[in-house]
Amino acid sequence: MNDSALAVELKGIWKRFPGVIANSDINLSIAPGTVHAIVGENGAGKSTLMKILYGMQKPDEGTIAINGEFKEFESPSDAIDAGIGMVHQHFMLADNFTVLENIILGSEPRKGAKLDFDTARNQINSIAAENGLAVDADALVADLGVGDRQRIEILKVLYRGARILILDEPTAVLVPHEVDELFNTLRDLKREGITIMFISHKLDEVLAIADEITVIRQGTTVGSVDTKKQNISALELAEMMVGSELPTPETRGNTIREEVVLDVTNLSVHAAGGKAIVDDISFSIRSGEILGIAGVEGNGQAEILDALMGLVENTGVVHFKGEDISNQSTRSRRELGIGFIPEDRHRQALMLEAPLWENRMLGHQTMAPNSKGFLLNISGAKEDTQRIVREYDVRTPSIDVLASALSGGNQQKLIVGREMSGSPRLLIAAHPTRGVDVGAQAAIWDHLRNAREAGLAVLLISADLDELIGLSDTIKVLLRGQFVADANPATVTPQELGTAMTGAGKVSA
Amino acid sequence: MNILKQRRMFMIAFSAITILSITRTFTDNSDLTSADTISQALGFAVPIGLAGLAGIWSERAGVVNIGLEGMMVLGTFGAGWAGWQWGAWAGVLAGVLFGALGGLLLAVAAITFGVDQIIAGTAVNLLAVGLTKFLAIVLFTNAPGGGQAQSPPIKGSIPNITVEAIANPLITLHDKGIFFISDVAGLVAGLFYQLSLLSVITFGLFAGTSYILWKTRFGLRLRSAGENPWAADSLGVNVVKYKYLAVTFSGLLAGLGGAYLSIASTIYRNGNTAGRGFIGLATMIFGNWRPGGTGAGAIMFGYIDTLRLIDTGNKNVRGLILLGALVLFVIGAYLMRTGKRSTGTAFAILGSVMIGAFLAAKNFPPEVAQVAPYITTLLVLATASQNLRPPAADGVPFRKGEGH
Repeated sequence: MNDSALAVELKGIWKRFPGVIANSDINLSIAPGTVHAIVGENGAGKSTLMKILYGMQKPDEGTIAINGEFKEFESPSDAIDAGIGMVHQHFMLADNFTVLENIILGSEPRKGAKLDFDTARNQINSIAAENGLAVDADALVADLGVGDRQRIEILKVLYRGARILILDEPTAVLVPHEVDELFNTLRDLKREGITIMFISHKLDEVLAIADEITVIRQGTTVGSVDTKKQNISALELAEMMVGSELPTPETRGNTIREEVVLDVTNLSVHAAGGKAIVDDISFSIRSGEILGIAGVEGNGQAEILDALMGLVENTGVVHFKGEDISNQSTRSRRELGIGFIPEDRHRQALMLEAPLWENRMLGHQTMAPNSKGFLLNISGAKEDTQRIVREYDVRTPSIDVLASALSGGNQQKLIVGREMSGSPRLLIAAHPTRGVDVGAQAAIWDHLRNAREAGLAVLLISADLDELIGLSDTIKVLLRGQFVADANPATVTPQELGTAMTGAGKVSA
Repeated sequence: MNILKQRRMFMIAFSAITILSITRTFTDNSDLTSADTISQALGFAVPIGLAGLAGIWSERAGVVNIGLEGMMVLGTFGAGWAGWQWGAWAGVLAGVLFGALGGLLLAVAAITFGVDQIIAGTAVNLLAVGLTKFLAIVLFTNAPGGGQAQSPPIKGSIPNITVEAIANPLITLHDKGIFFISDVAGLVAGLFYQLSLLSVITFGLFAGTSYILWKTRFGLRLRSAGENPWAADSLGVNVVKYKYLAVTFSGLLAGLGGAYLSIASTIYRNGNTAGRGFIGLATMIFGNWRPGGTGAGAIMFGYIDTLRLIDTGNKNVRGLILLGALVLFVIGAYLMRTGKRSTGTAFAILGSVMIGAFLAAKNFPPEVAQVAPYITTLLVLATASQNLRPPAADGVPFRKGEGH
């Protein structure tokens, strides 16, 4: 090994899949002991690149050098032997195993024929102590939260002696203070001389932690930025990622009308233990108005949506177009003209193993064009699915493919298209552009703006604060199930809103 | 935590013996706890237990093994065919090999080709029955003492063990009919009385499974294939290898269970397994995919089977009903104490109905005893399903590199 050598050097990496070029001519140099961020849009080829570096896939062309030595990885174990460790975006943990079992799996210490649990426990505890990663080695993973799980993942790779860490979208699942903890850990690791590759598309986070940033666009590296030498803004970085100027979610003009579409009074939702998750809130939305709810995930947003759709038990009165719908079923709420874009599209919005046109009917199976009296109208549904595919630019070979064959962004476009059909009067939308690329995001925003002008009332929840501020006519801040502040989208900044969401500051009304 | 566990086990055993003892006293039926009954019950428990243990191996590695019944059938045939020609031990060997082949077949279909595991298992069941019926006609029809549906007698047998120094005094003590003490004596005596060597081997297999799956590297990796194969794969564990080994060994164990059945009845006979593979699966679920509970479940099934078969004058079925009622009361009381009032009440009501039946009727059709194990299983599953924890990736096909 050569001390001055680069920790990782990739040259001319190509990877083709049937019909797609995932990586084309990727070049990447990473100095040891630095945090190097890889940024790019969804589908830009970041994940494929990391899988190649971790030995999960073989490149078609190109060379990989680790600490100055050329390597060919046949499997992750080869990469592990070379000192590379990967923390996957979706945690790779067995819930029914203890922390210890998860960490040692694959490189277990033994005493005779038996597993040596004591040695393992001591080793884990000492690695944990050195790097400030507190965990209980004997806890069952099923009982732990996301932050703990991520620490276990990091411990897992450190336990294997990794000196190069790949973190795939590590902050996607964390709440803000957990992100801070993670960043502290990463700084500690860097101090220990560990090289960190940080994959993300959250640019402000990347700027906060990375020493160097490499941008990937359409499968190829388009540039690198040394954050110490160059000053670069999140916007400039984003434009590098997209390759053009960014669209903005700005809405123009006031389209709010007199008619109150949704009126909610004293809505509460209680958890199994009796604790109020949504605590006695009231609000109303007028025709042509977009009401945004800002809040850190888990403060009751999901429950408000579910309550409005009649999916969870709740108390309070909900009027829709002047009619009391508090006791209506979910189906009749939909039939009255409420569209719903849920938070978790796999759980609540799609049948993954069904074709697109069947998914088009989901939730609208009693309404035209999907039904004719008692019978389903399959040809009508198929025709209308074609329309959605066309108007919402759903990239699919046909409407007969299974929903699971679509990328997340295209699934989302199909859902938005479905929920906007039949001219609903109210749209309840959670993260309507989550996981879609920038182009499609702009298209969805256009559809929302047009519908708003036509008089649609929208309840919007989004973790993307720029989107929330740009689209909303009114913003309410939700904290622990209650509205704690109002914000004026014309004047508020994402920073102010972010602070208000944690309950720390006040925002201008 | 271990002390708590031990205490709980002790409490369960203590209550079980007390309930048995009360039942015996009330029905004046010393058969309920005699060494003879217990010894036979263990014999009946062996094939069921082996099937359950086979299920543990397969499902802990993430492959649902509904083909256990078929693998057992292959075992019965192998034992009958080889046992007829070369003796009982050769029969055991052939039964084990035939069962392992059945397991390997399921492994190829379910692991390599990703066939739905329920369908693949069902295919193994159908294939095993058809194949053995066909081979029986071809091989046994003209053999002396054989027929179209059964093999000639198996040569020799597997020795039984009786430790007279322990068994005899305990049997004497049991015959005195003292509350609790005599029952314990009978139960313990049964363990040392006419015990088949295969039962001893089975016990060893249970203990060995506990050790291998939970204390060794091999076991941890095998179980990781059933909990999160993608994680295991990402850590360089050869998931496919462990799944293959587990499912093949599962077939081997089921085959041993089948061989035991043939050797115990001295011939191979079509349909001799009589659904024991499926009962084995039920005991596995009853035992929460662990050897201890599965073994206990198998003994329960074996015990009930024995009482039904040695029944004279319809005494045992009545005894069983009272026994069941008392068990229901105890579980009901436990549930009430842990705050599950409605389920607890339901148990108590069901128990009272059974007590009523016990007092009102003198004769019960023997079928009542036949369905008892299944009703028990249903009840257990209904109450314990909240606490049961199957391997997380049980039944989910695994493809290398695909993530999830």
